[in-house]
Amino acid sequence: MTTMLTGRRNVLKGLAATTAMTALPRAARAQETTLRWWSPQSAPLQVAAYQTQIANFEAANPGVKVVFETTSDEGYAPQLAAAFSSGEVPDIVTHLPSFAIQSYYANGLVEPFNDVIDMIGADDFFEGANDVFRAADGNYCGTGIGNSAANMLWLRKDLMEEAGIDAAPTTWDELRAAAQAMQKNGIFGAPLPYGANSMTTLIFAGVIHQAGGQIFDTDLSVALDTQETRDALEWYGAMREVCPPGATNYSWGEAITAFVSGATATGIYTGRVLGNVNAQNPSIADSVTCVRYPTKSTAIAPWTFNDFPSVFIPAQSNNIEMAKKFAASLFDPEGYIQQLHAAPGHVLPVLKSINDNPDYQNNEIIQKYPAEVELMSEAAAGGFNLGYESANHPSNEKAGEVVGSGVIAEMVQRVILNGDNVDEVIGDTAKAIEDIMKG
Amino acid sequence: MATRPKTLLERHYALLGLALIAPTVLVFCAVIVYPLISAIYLSLFSIFTPTLEGEWVGLANYRELLTSGDFWSALRVNLIWTIGTLTLQIVAGVGMALILHQNIWFRSLARSLILFPYFVSTVVAVLVWKWLFNDLYGILNHLMMTAGIIDWPIDYLGMMPNALISVILVGAWKYFPFVVIAVLARLQTIPDALYEAARIDGAGPVARFFDVTLPQLRDVLVVIIMLRAIWDFKEFDLIFLLTGGGPVNSTETLPLLVYKEAFALNQMGMASAYAVVMMLIMLVFMILYVRRTRSVDGA
Repeated sequence: MTTMLTGRRNVLKGLAATTAMTALPRAARAQETTLRWWSPQSAPLQVAAYQTQIANFEAANPGVKVVFETTSDEGYAPQLAAAFSSGEVPDIVTHLPSFAIQSYYANGLVEPFNDVIDMIGADDFFEGANDVFRAADGNYCGTGIGNSAANMLWLRKDLMEEAGIDAAPTTWDELRAAAQAMQKNGIFGAPLPYGANSMTTLIFAGVIHQAGGQIFDTDLSVALDTQETRDALEWYGAMREVCPPGATNYSWGEAITAFVSGATATGIYTGRVLGNVNAQNPSIADSVTCVRYPTKSTAIAPWTFNDFPSVFIPAQSNNIEMAKKFAASLFDPEGYIQQLHAAPGHVLPVLKSINDNPDYQNNEIIQKYPAEVELMSEAAAGGFNLGYESANHPSNEKAGEVVGSGVIAEMVQRVILNGDNVDEVIGDTAKAIEDIMKG
Repeated sequence: MATRPKTLLERHYALLGLALIAPTVLVFCAVIVYPLISAIYLSLFSIFTPTLEGEWVGLANYRELLTSGDFWSALRVNLIWTIGTLTLQIVAGVGMALILHQNIWFRSLARSLILFPYFVSTVVAVLVWKWLFNDLYGILNHLMMTAGIIDWPIDYLGMMPNALISVILVGAWKYFPFVVIAVLARLQTIPDALYEAARIDGAGPVARFFDVTLPQLRDVLVVIIMLRAIWDFKEFDLIFLLTGGGPVNSTETLPLLVYKEAFALNQMGMASAYAVVMMLIMLVFMILYVRRTRSVDGA
């Protein structure tokens, strides 16, 4: 029996709406539409860019007010779950990973995005850029507001030279040897995450692919119990000795800080590293470079983790048409380029016209690191994530819950930190993921 | 004997009484009864949090909960955390209250400053402590390495038992001022004559503490322990922000499990079942508290 528990929700919505209406001055009610915009990307320069985009949109649409509200990479899921269940949703959400939207769309919580993509210009997107957003019903549940190559291997050329390393590592063994060689004078080899958080889950999913494995098969059955997963755990565990002790609690913030501050010789992150190094530790700015993260052997192709930062509109929004208009406006060159320049190399353009736009290319960081930015663009374009593991995989509607459950991070912690039996842990993890898939 | 019919005035008084008590009853129903019944009701369903759609599963959530290792593990951690942090809060709180009860210099200033941890927001407190604990830049590791006590930074939050100990210590630091305030207030009301009499009988400072101070503090300490036990048992933000329940689930208490079920796994029904069981456990503390306060009032 399926029960709609909507009565209580409607009462809550009614109460909230009544309260809100009572609080608003009558004149304001008559003429002002307020759009709430959520994003976990809220570095000061990014927020400044958003304010430009908001100001442009408000100027072009009198009577519309856009309010920007910050969420976080670790906190968006609970915040959105609470928003959806109360009906008090934002009108537009940006920069969440693609797999999160697929899950919401599958439950009827997200508005189809096809017409917004048409407004932006479907032909202007890089080829295949929207494939990850295609839902089971053929509609698009959102689109990318950018691309990201989140597991680039960041290197210090000066430390490599000191350690006698003449080429960037391409295999795990080379990387481990390089990290060991560079680990001295208080500098650690790598800031890999071992914490109970989503970064560990997402990065380790990539490590499994770099071993030649996968989490799900192409029919979305769980395919974790393989030799590749064991190899990934063994290598990841071996890398623990070149990571700072506190890596057991690292997430995105700690990982980037460790490399940017010079505490680790290598890093794993998006292109945000470039801007941060130049702003916060310019003494190493000329020494940093990046390559694709190494694989178990050269026979295995690199696997780039692209979370496909997205834009989507909750179906419960009271201003869907205006939100769609605003979503399309986010791709207008002036504001979009300013947003991309706020973290150069971190969020990469998804529109060909923007990538070729001289204004976009006219950026100090992009011009200083052309090879790195080009490599990240290329890697991100061919990137995948847990919700879209390869071109042969369909979008996985349950990937958001798999990430949220933390079972993959728990697997890493149980094997590497607790020393639990690998077979038993992999079996438990596969079973937990299967349970999530069954719903 | 026939009952005398009520007069018009008496009937009006009765209605007035109902009218006067109605707002309280309504507020009580809105903020206590409704959420309670709602939680119990939700716990009987399997519900997808974002849509609040689900199906009736009866007591299945409770069966699954009680047979799962997660619940018992979280309960064990919850009890260790509660007992550990509460013990430290009481010891540190009573000790500090005794010091602040003395005629020391800057006593007023010290009494104000001691409240700082209790007043500071949990988020800020956690950020400060995470910074202190940091393996690369934290002052604790830096000082100990400089002093030659350790050669390698200590991983305070990512390894066991360090993580649980750190959480318990931070919890004790954050909440012990509450004990200080309550105990200090009681200390100021203990008659000096009792101490005079003890001195005349030859009691030293230790004997005076155990024979005079502690018995006088007993009632207030019981109330503090009951209240703090309830509050510590359901502590969420401090533990969640410090460790997120890790490593693995070594610091995962029941409130963190409720949050995980409700918002990470989107299982609102199961989360409600956990919350209801938590409430039943806390009911034990509450009954003890009510009985205690009644006996104190009646004394």
